[in-house]
Amino acid sequence: MNRKKDKGFESPRPFKLTHQVVCINNINFQRKSVIGYVELTIFPTVVNLNRIKLNSKQCRIYRVRVNDLEAPFLYNDPTLEVCHHESKQRNLNYFSSAYTAAVSAVDPDAGHGELVIKVPSELWKQGDDLKVLKVYIEFSLDQPKGGLHFVVPDVEGSMAERGAHVFSFGYQNSTRFWFPCVDSYSELCTWKLEFTVDASMVAVSCGDLVETIYTHDMRKKTFHYVLPIPTAAPNISLAVGPFEILVDPYMHEVTHFCLPQLLPLLKHSMSYLHEIFEFYEEILTCRYPYSCFKTVFVDEAYVQVSSYASMSIFSTNLLHSAMIIDQTPQTRRCLAQALAQQFFGCFISRMSWADEWVLKGISGYIYGLYLKKTFGVNEYRHWIKEELDKIVEYELKMGGVLLHPTFSGGKEKDNPTPHLHFSIKHPHTLSWEYYKMFQCKAHLVMRLIENRISMEFMLQVFNKLLSLASTASSQKYQSHMWSQMLLSTHAFLKSISNVSGKDIGPLIKQWVDQSSVVKFFGSFAFNRKRNVLELEIRQDYTSSGTQKYVGPIKVTVQELDGSFNHMLQIEENSLKHDIPCHSKSRRNKKKKIPLMNGEEVDMDLSAMDADSPLLWIRIDPDMSILRKVEFEQADFMWQYQLRYERDVVAQEEAISALEKFPTPASRLALTDILEQEQCFYKVRMQACFCLAKIANAMVSTWQGPPAMKSLFTRMFCCKSCPNIVKTNNFINFQSYFLQKTMPVAMALLRDGQNICPKDVLNFILDLIKYNDNRKNKFSDNYYRADLIEALTNSLTPAMSINNEVRTVDNLNADVRLILEEITRFLNMEKLLPSFRNTITISCLRAIRQLQKNGHIPSDPSLFKSYAQYGHFVDLRIAALEALVDYTRVERSSAELQWLLSMAQNDPVHYVRHKILGMLCKNPPFTKTTDSALCNEALVDQLWKFMNSGTSHDWRLRCDAVNLYYMLFGLTRPSCLPLPELGLVLNLKEKKAVLNPTIKPELGVGAFNTMEDEDIDMETVHDSQAFIHHHLNLLERPSTPGTHTHTHTHTHTHTHTLPNPLHKHMAEHRRATSTGHLGHY
Amino acid sequence: VFSVHMVGEGSVSICRSAGKATSSPAENYLLARRRTLQVVVSALLTESGFESAEKAAVETLTEMLQSYITEIGRCAKAYCEHTARSVPTLSDTVVTLIEMGFNVDTLPIYAKRSQRMVITAPPVTNAPVTPKALSAGQKRTHPAHIPSHFPEFPDPHTYIKTPTFREPVSDYQVVREKAATQRRDVERALTRFIAKTGETQSLFKDDITTFPLIAAQPSTIPYLSALLPSELELQALEETDSSEQDDQTDGENTHIALDDPGADKENSMLPPSGVVPSTKASEDNVIDNPYLRPVKKPKVRRKK
Repeated sequence: MNRKKDKGFESPRPFKLTHQVVCINNINFQRKSVIGYVELTIFPTVVNLNRIKLNSKQCRIYRVRVNDLEAPFLYNDPTLEVCHHESKQRNLNYFSSAYTAAVSAVDPDAGHGELVIKVPSELWKQGDDLKVLKVYIEFSLDQPKGGLHFVVPDVEGSMAERGAHVFSFGYQNSTRFWFPCVDSYSELCTWKLEFTVDASMVAVSCGDLVETIYTHDMRKKTFHYVLPIPTAAPNISLAVGPFEILVDPYMHEVTHFCLPQLLPLLKHSMSYLHEIFEFYEEILTCRYPYSCFKTVFVDEAYVQVSSYASMSIFSTNLLHSAMIIDQTPQTRRCLAQALAQQFFGCFISRMSWADEWVLKGISGYIYGLYLKKTFGVNEYRHWIKEELDKIVEYELKMGGVLLHPTFSGGKEKDNPTPHLHFSIKHPHTLSWEYYKMFQCKAHLVMRLIENRISMEFMLQVFNKLLSLASTASSQKYQSHMWSQMLLSTHAFLKSISNVSGKDIGPLIKQWVDQSSVVKFFGSFAFNRKRNVLELEIRQDYTSSGTQKYVGPIKVTVQELDGSFNHMLQIEENSLKHDIPCHSKSRRNKKKKIPLMNGEEVDMDLSAMDADSPLLWIRIDPDMSILRKVEFEQADFMWQYQLRYERDVVAQEEAISALEKFPTPASRLALTDILEQEQCFYKVRMQACFCLAKIANAMVSTWQGPPAMKSLFTRMFCCKSCPNIVKTNNFINFQSYFLQKTMPVAMALLRDGQNICPKDVLNFILDLIKYNDNRKNKFSDNYYRADLIEALTNSLTPAMSINNEVRTVDNLNADVRLILEEITRFLNMEKLLPSFRNTITISCLRAIRQLQKNGHIPSDPSLFKSYAQYGHFVDLRIAALEALVDYTRVERSSAELQWLLSMAQNDPVHYVRHKILGMLCKNPPFTKTTDSALCNEALVDQLWKFMNSGTSHDWRLRCDAVNLYYMLFGLTRPSCLPLPELGLVLNLKEKKAVLNPTIKPELGVGAFNTMEDEDIDMETVHDSQAFIHHHLNLLERPSTPGTHTHTHTHTHTHTHTLPNPLHKHMAEHRRATSTGHLGHY
Repeated sequence: VFSVHMVGEGSVSICRSAGKATSSPAENYLLARRRTLQVVVSALLTESGFESAEKAAVETLTEMLQSYITEIGRCAKAYCEHTARSVPTLSDTVVTLIEMGFNVDTLPIYAKRSQRMVITAPPVTNAPVTPKALSAGQKRTHPAHIPSHFPEFPDPHTYIKTPTFREPVSDYQVVREKAATQRRDVERALTRFIAKTGETQSLFKDDITTFPLIAAQPSTIPYLSALLPSELELQALEETDSSEQDDQTDGENTHIALDDPGADKENSMLPPSGVVPSTKASEDNVIDNPYLRPVKKPKVRRKK
């Protein structure tokens, strides 16, 4: 392993930051501008510190002073425009490497920055005593596109009355967008923060509010914050607005803030936060590290939850009243996540990007413990399974997710993830989807470690890390203790081995240092003579995203005599495992069957194979391997597993497996589960859908009323009149969720003609008709939305006679009824809006489905009107989703343009992100399909967008890269004409080479000849040169003067793409890689 | 300054009869009292040395005197009723006078002053008879446990309820059916009306009337309507468990009342959207939260 055996943290900078003052004097909501200054106190760690590199983006810098002396500075941001205009490359490989280079060139973790300050020479000769330098920078921001988001509703009144507010946001370290700083998670310092805002506003920021003072004219006030705990700049945030203030009734040091009029919702939503606090403090046996905590709920949030030192910013849409059921657990989860990140992520920060997984893993893991405690073990196991399925699906589809990438110079190591179209070297180059999966995998791996060393040790490790950090945080900078607050993979693993005494090396090697998951195929045979179960476990480790697993695996066998666990060793060449069975006895004796949990139950064993004592078999039941298991066992075994295995994961697996066995026995097993009230409600919900599938497969032999109908009637309809549903009473949440789900699943039923049975449709229409919520304590908006979804599910493609135009007159009678309901719902919602507009959202989906199935004319205009800015964000997303679908189905270039222009210009960052995300999920065309939409103009447009149009938002840029990849692939888009000249003569070297516009440029090498040690501070304005200069500096120690990056890229592609052009290029590359390229 | 005892008992009837000055005996009665008052005023004026007075001045003074006496009467009656009696006593009048800022001790001396003029009593006119109210039905007599001096029962029609009702439809199915149909009709009519009177969107190009959709209007603060429960829902909630709700609001109110007055004063300097209404805390009302602390004045920098 090439993990650094470090003693402590080594700063990449020639100085150490100890304290920073951020002062924002003026926030103008009208002009959306900000004016302020920062003052950084730094200790040089070298003699003759002549340059200071800081991070700053989009700030206008007026002056820089070092210890009161004016200092010249250079401001250069190479990420503004990644590839320069003259380039006609249009090839994603090239872009990705250039983008990675640009990000590296200003990467604070490598000691770089956009802002280079020349220290006045008077201050150089302080070598002996290395005195403190104070760097003072005045700056302003005008209409920032990233970093700070202004929400200014366009209504009458003062800014406070309008509910105008502003808050900081960003993906990973993005603080440089709103003030100059060292934008690294590993550069800690103490903070003094001052914000002068309108007297009617509140400024919420990190640390303790020391005092609030009016300005002389009494029209503004200044909020003074002090954050004495060393904190990294990316964990600093700010929110200013006319917030309503709620001091937590249980913990007075916790304060909640929300926008005007939402206070009642805030009170309700925050009423259980103290329980989360108590939980974490108890399991970590550690006080919450900051002296106060603030939650701020803002509109148009970038993400639902973002955590900063001693405060968290949430989306205002998480707030809900006591009437709302479905949102409640979601909001609690968000709060729990935010709080977990306070401990790990904010208080304890990461040492480098490669250590990110530890922090995400721990916060995700303790969040999981909270889920287990609050929502129960079933919910927890269900969640783990869900997360595991997610990561497995992603890795198998997209290739591996690597938790701990190492980039230590060796050529193979240079790009540990060649299957990806982006670099994982920096957080800012990652696709959002990948990052989400990364977090998912991180917490799953933490759980694996827990399985290995026990939870007790795990919590001891966390406690140890926190106590170390907490001791360090109270020390002065001079004690050099602050680096204890940074967590590295190495330190974490060391702590684990110290505490537990166990070696988890193999585990780490398998899941952390290596990407990919394991794919098992299992089958078995029972050998009656030997009374042995012959289990065969095969692996697929050749397809993408898979790896080979060697090690222990647990197999649980439920026999007649009880449940038995067996630990098997998966080895290189052995596939077969013999497991001796315990039960010889036959079932003549009526005997109860003991289960794993000690329970003993009666079973009807008539379905069993008479010769075998096996009821069911489970492979890796504890999910202690990141794997996908495809296991073969007989249908009756799955049915027994569903009925009698008490683990929800096993039940869910059985349900998925039963889809393939449409028999009356499966039907019975599923119906029994549906009726069983002790059964976990999510399992029952899943059973509904499985039952619908089975019923459809059995359509010719199905007996009795449509599946689930009589069940629903029995559970939810009136005794005296079974066609009328009871008035709503959602006091029992389990049956509420079941009542919501059953109609949705029932609507998926199809008859012999493959249309939804009339019975079922009328049944759903009746549910809508007789729905009565007047006596209910809870809102029925989600229920009604689900009933509309049920109507949507009942739709089947229209019978179309030679493509006639759809008009009202030739509307199918059933569709007319459905449309009637949708119209009424949609219109009523205008008068009485439902919570989060769930009903309108369902209606929009229904309308799109009607259009898609040819019942009504396909038309995007309705969706466009709902997609406009000014509608509730969920609604907009739903409308945009319909538009994305329309664009794909109709191949509409106008709509694609409309979407792209919204992705470029919409005021809400989240919406822009979602548009690109949805276009990726449901692309109008892909690299493998031909489409009229794929043309040069679109290539140019998207290229421009990701190249220079998204420099203010890392996430958006990566989204754009994703979309470009989805549409055009890694290489030059096929729709582009070939350059006129394929070959160019190089007179100097007397040979012909490929026109450089067809192939990736040798970016790095081209600038080898530059004078690299000293850039002329006054003249360097070319950012390309700037990047390459820094790249050279960066790479020199390990690989002098090379351009390994581009090299390996093309190299790998000669293998993946058998394109003669590429081979040629690679040849050429090898020939010219050492020389400089003067052949232009 | 004025001599009161002469007309003291008249005050009540003055105010009572002022309302119905239409019947002529009542008018006469009033006029006579008024004339006496005028005489009193004139006598007092003479007593204080005036030789002549303009009619308007006398009239004004009379008006003042009348309202003063009326007020004494009203107030004395209120005091007596307050103590559950029906006829004012001397002490009621004394308390009234004190309440009105009159020094009662000076009254006997003033009454016995030498130069006071004696005025003839007002001519005896019969007090107006209040016409009997139309009575309907038989008045109920008091039950045994109510003493007879208590007021009589009012006319029966004022308290007796005569419900008019039809046999309610008790068949559950029909009720639900009706409620559902009614609600649907109301909703459809309402939405159609709104659709007719406003902008609409349509799913069909050729037909914009069959399924009219009320046009989507962006709002300036979309999250408010999407997050806050509608009034209808809140109402329904109140009906379902009003007791719980009341408890909550009560608790809140008492808390705000208990709040430190000093803090309130500080907060009141803030604009209305500021901090004040949101203060909520548990029993101990000394919350030390920096966001609730007063905003300091500039220059006056106290050390923290």
